[in-house]
Amino acid sequence: MKAAAFDYHRATSVDDAIQQLGAADDAKVLAGGQSLVPLLAMRLARPTVLVDLNRLADLAYVRRENGELAIGALTRHRTVETAELVRRDVPLLADALAHVGHVTIRNRGTIGGSIAHGDPAAELPAVAVALDATFRLRGPGGERSVAAGDFFFGYLMTALEPDELLTEIRWPVLPQGTGCAVEELTRRNGDFALVAVFAALTMGADGVCTQARISVAGAAAAPLRADNAEQALIGSRVSAADAGAAADRLAAATDPPNDIHAPADYRREMAAVLGRRAIQRAWAQANRTNAGE
Amino acid sequence: MSDHVNGAAEGTVANKVPVTITVNGRTHRADCEPRTTLADFLREDLGYTGVHLGCEHGVCGACTVQLDGSTARSCCMLAVQADGSEVTTVEGLAEDGQLHPLQEAFWNRHGLQCGFCTPGMLMTACELLADNPDPSAEEIREGISGNLCRCTGYQFIVESIQEAAPKMRPAT
Amino acid sequence: MAEQSAAGLIGARVRRQEDPRLLTGRAQFVDDVRLPGMLNAAVLRSPVPHARIVRIDVSRALAHPGVYAVVTGDEVRAAVATPQPVIWRMIPDQRMTDGYPLAVGKARYVGQGIAAVAATDRATAEDALELIDVEYDELPAVTTLEEALAEDAPKLYDEWPDNVSCRATIPKGDVEAAFAEADVVVRETFRFARQMGTPLETRGVVATWDPFTDRLDVWLSTQSPNLARDLFGEVLDVSVDKIRVRVPDVGGGFGNKFDFYGEEVVAAILSKRTGRPVKLIEDRLESFVANAHSREQKVEVELAATSDGRITGLRGTVYAVLGGQLATVGIGPCWLTAALMSGPYDIANVEASVVGVVTNRSPYGSYRGWGQPKSNFAHERMVDLLARRLDMDPLDVRRKNLIPADAFPYASPVFFYDGGRYDECLGLATDAVRDRGWLRRRDEARGSGRTVGIGYSFHVEITALGPSRIMNMAGLQHSAFDEEVVRIDSSGRVTVYTGQTALGQGIQTALAQVAAEQLGVPLDDVTVVVGDTDTCPYTGYGTGASRAASLGGGAVLTASKRLKEKVLRIAGGMLEAAPEDLVVADGRISVVGVPDRSVSMAEIGDAAYRRINGRLPEDEVPTLEEREVFDPPNVAFSYGCTAVLADVDRETGEVRLLDYLIAHDCGTVINPLIVDGQLHGGAAQAIGGALYEELVYGPDGQIQTTTFMDYLMPTASEIPAFELLHMETPAEHIPGGFKGMGEGGTIGGAAAIAGAVDDALADLGVATVALPITPPRLLAAMRNGQVQA
Ligand SMILES: Cc1cc2nc3c(=O)[nH]c(=O)nc-3n(C[C@H](O)[C@H](O)[C@H](O)COP(=O)(O)OP(=O)(O)OC[C@H]3O[C@@H](n4cnc5c(N)ncnc54)[C@H](O)[C@@H]3O)c2cc1C
Ligand code: FES
Ligand code: FES
Repeated sequence: MKAAAFDYHRATSVDDAIQQLGAADDAKVLAGGQSLVPLLAMRLARPTVLVDLNRLADLAYVRRENGELAIGALTRHRTVETAELVRRDVPLLADALAHVGHVTIRNRGTIGGSIAHGDPAAELPAVAVALDATFRLRGPGGERSVAAGDFFFGYLMTALEPDELLTEIRWPVLPQGTGCAVEELTRRNGDFALVAVFAALTMGADGVCTQARISVAGAAAAPLRADNAEQALIGSRVSAADAGAAADRLAAATDPPNDIHAPADYRREMAAVLGRRAIQRAWAQANRTNAGE
Repeated sequence: MSDHVNGAAEGTVANKVPVTITVNGRTHRADCEPRTTLADFLREDLGYTGVHLGCEHGVCGACTVQLDGSTARSCCMLAVQADGSEVTTVEGLAEDGQLHPLQEAFWNRHGLQCGFCTPGMLMTACELLADNPDPSAEEIREGISGNLCRCTGYQFIVESIQEAAPKMRPAT
Repeated sequence: MAEQSAAGLIGARVRRQEDPRLLTGRAQFVDDVRLPGMLNAAVLRSPVPHARIVRIDVSRALAHPGVYAVVTGDEVRAAVATPQPVIWRMIPDQRMTDGYPLAVGKARYVGQGIAAVAATDRATAEDALELIDVEYDELPAVTTLEEALAEDAPKLYDEWPDNVSCRATIPKGDVEAAFAEADVVVRETFRFARQMGTPLETRGVVATWDPFTDRLDVWLSTQSPNLARDLFGEVLDVSVDKIRVRVPDVGGGFGNKFDFYGEEVVAAILSKRTGRPVKLIEDRLESFVANAHSREQKVEVELAATSDGRITGLRGTVYAVLGGQLATVGIGPCWLTAALMSGPYDIANVEASVVGVVTNRSPYGSYRGWGQPKSNFAHERMVDLLARRLDMDPLDVRRKNLIPADAFPYASPVFFYDGGRYDECLGLATDAVRDRGWLRRRDEARGSGRTVGIGYSFHVEITALGPSRIMNMAGLQHSAFDEEVVRIDSSGRVTVYTGQTALGQGIQTALAQVAAEQLGVPLDDVTVVVGDTDTCPYTGYGTGASRAASLGGGAVLTASKRLKEKVLRIAGGMLEAAPEDLVVADGRISVVGVPDRSVSMAEIGDAAYRRINGRLPEDEVPTLEEREVFDPPNVAFSYGCTAVLADVDRETGEVRLLDYLIAHDCGTVINPLIVDGQLHGGAAQAIGGALYEELVYGPDGQIQTTTFMDYLMPTASEIPAFELLHMETPAEHIPGGFKGMGEGGTIGGAAAIAGAVDDALADLGVATVALPITPPRLLAAMRNGQVQA
């Protein structure tokens, strides 16, 4: 399990990185390395050049800008997970991060790496999709923004061009009265999810749901936004029956993979179970927030 | 400015890259191929064979070291990336011939059998207790769940960490 | 460490001598061995399950910079004297597979070695593997038991009539009659997934085979150095005096490192070719195909019983899903499943058969517990099912059928069980379950979405293997005695030399405790040397089959006793007292009642080695050393009862273990700390096997689990806290009374977990008949009644 040989380039700036990516045929970005280095060792990834971003300190930040939370692509999972700003403004993201691997993985893994890798079973792509995050990409032609909903295509396939860099992820701040819940089913603690549901429900003071943001990981070739479930909840009081019905809609929209860890029907069925649990927990939390607890 | 290292010259042994790294307080300078992982570099080039390789794909935790103050899987990093870093391996835990409180506790409580997972367990436990000085048994289990042990069934590892916790708590 | 007084060291909960090195990163595992000029090797493995090898072209690999040698299967075949040995030959007419270290002619499983490269470093060796061109003529593969047994199935061995390697039946009593007269008959079929021991350290070897002197010097991560040395000798046609096997620290064995693997031979051949030491370390990915697999069986069982729950007959067939060739232990583990099918029960009529079937999968070898986890699962599940049929409490059925304490020695179909108090052990567990409030916890959970169940299993564990003559009679092509040497040196310190190996099971501390107590010296005065065939004595078989502590302990005890007699004679001369009037404590020998009249062990050592004149009695030979060979008159059976409290999520099918206890008897306990650790570790492996681990093959014969992301060894979060309850019934036929216990935790776990799951789902009538119990399977079972593979 030793990697095939490659060239190594330590990027000194974002522009330098982009230039290096364009200069070689099979160049690849190295961020936290928690996915890429094992793939190299297995010789499943065989880049000719690795462009290492790790010295780009200006890509690691968490800050509030224009009512959004802006997180630099190179910010480590653990930094984001424990950032006060994130806990306060985008708690679903912090909750989800606690499910990514283990602390040691999160010490190194980056937000940008998780998004760029685009694993459909991973937490961050799904949360980004649920929360309508936007991704700032930079390439030789300049900068563009892509909505999370337009970014993930299929298994490990994204809108990133080979010579583009993901530089920043912008997260809308969740409104007052929002409750969040992550329900994740794994075989072992820290494993990738068989299925996971991410829910953020905003409840009005009158007990009616004003906004619902729900997504599912592990349920299709790309992270799935459960619009139909969201529509069913908005305007409802999120009774147990409402939650169940919404979760059933969510499950019906899934097209899960069949693999050694679980058959597709099981995953679909679990999407309904976890969906219901997540909706109910998010609802309860929103009510507690509204009650000032 | 650009910092480019050629490692894949066709048909030749790859060029080596100079790496400077401080391990357990001692600074080393050595040359390595870009593809060399930090784990292999520590083990093969610098002789820190307390770093163990149980999987080389990030799951077992046996290769865990402290890198600039937090734990990292040394199999999931390239040595070149660690250039300029400070690393602590299991060899750096005991000081002046005195075992670290965690080592002492693992010894007392039979927190190891074959000892292959132990270096990684100790490094992880160090960080766990630094983050949470008084963890419950369940929190310990969660905290070490990224480190596989095939021998112990974990119970005595959990007890070892519990025993060490009060000794590592900063005096208040 | 504080001076440990010798009295009562056997049974003392002392911390281990092994640990400081391991804790400080100062241990030396095989991958830490570096010799001058050493090369690193890598093996090219078959990407297809079944194929004729048409052509191998290694020229590009040989030309690659840094490559020193490349060998193919044919070249290795030419360099060896015999096929890879199979040491367990219980079934005389078994068709043998005669495999070689690398595939010759045909590849019969994905991952089978095809060629190997030695290069300056491992990365370069792997680069070179990519340059070897192999042309395969693919053949249809048989990837499951059913496919292998189908009529017109493709054959793995053209010269065989089918894919069956062997069949045998082990009879006792009159089974026909028992079934004819039975009030009830219960039948079930059990399936066990492939699993493997998976030590955290993979296998590895460093071989130096000197082309001029023919000396072969090997560092090997193995459980059986003497066996390896003998087999190296056979295969390479070298006399064993020229072979030295050294065992460095071993990062876990669990059976995987018992077998003698082809890679070991390949490394030696590459060394001779290159004139350099060659290191060959299996990486984790290849460990999933190159390590012996285990566990995979289909077991059909029938029980005959009276209407009040007395079992009168048992009939069973074990289908062993062997791989593409036989591993070192051959049919051994699967034969043992059949041999121990009646477990702890007094059943007059038993007929157990084993059918060994080859498939295009990796070879089937050893894993902790050998065949016993399956026999245990079979008999314990059958008892539960019988109870269900008769509407009885399964514990009552167990009580009714356990071998009573006065029936020992008890003749089971193959082995004589030496002794035990099975009923008491069951009571210990059931009392604990009652006292810990499990019944209340179960009742409280009833009717909710998560329900809780209690399961039990009772296991027997064959240990202290074994009398060499009996083992030879059973088919073992090796011995099974143990030899140890105990020496006091010129400074009065003690060194024990053993042929057992240290795999993390604390054998050094355990043997030191035995020697220290016998000799009356502090524990820290004893050093135990392991792992070198040049300096350590011969041990038949190796370190496995729960034999190290009982046989090694027994031999050390006897040798130490004799050595102590000599010490007392010398001391008697020096103190002018009769040996009977002397006592030894803390390394001093003194006259009873006159503590001032004493000599130290150091003075005795000095007298025996250096200043002999006038101090060593005239009729004593210098030096202080005793050697003991212990070949036990019988094996010894440990036993125990496992109880599990499990919670089942009825919506997801997840099983969580809430509580887990084991009541256990392994004879005299040498070190309770170590025994507890062994039981914990074994139980964790049982849990892995029951709920998580499975080596999965696709219908195309490709293995789909080659990483730790896919082969799910449990983490600390999946494993509950364990509680252990001990009984001690010393083995009468073993000095010291020690029985083994290395495998006990592994044997009984799965059946108790399955019992707890079934109990939690009792209202749905679920019967768990296959392992592992994964959430999707359990959810399906809630709908159709059976947990199936
Ligand atoms: C044991 C283990 C368990 C894990 N469990 C989980 C889990 O439960 N959930 C989960 O989501 N993940 C899990 N991971 C994966 C981990 O979160 C990875 O860190 C993450 O997926 C990738 O982030 P990284 O920074 O390490 O990226 P890298 O591994 O460095 O890169 C991953 C990919 O993204 C590309 N890339 C990285 N950054 C950029 C960028 N800025 N612009 C363009 N391309 C970029 C790289 O070229 C590469 O293709 C686990 C990993 C391990 C080893
Ligand atoms: S060797 Fe690095 S995690 Fe296993
Ligand atoms: S002690 Fe052996 S793997 Fe943990």
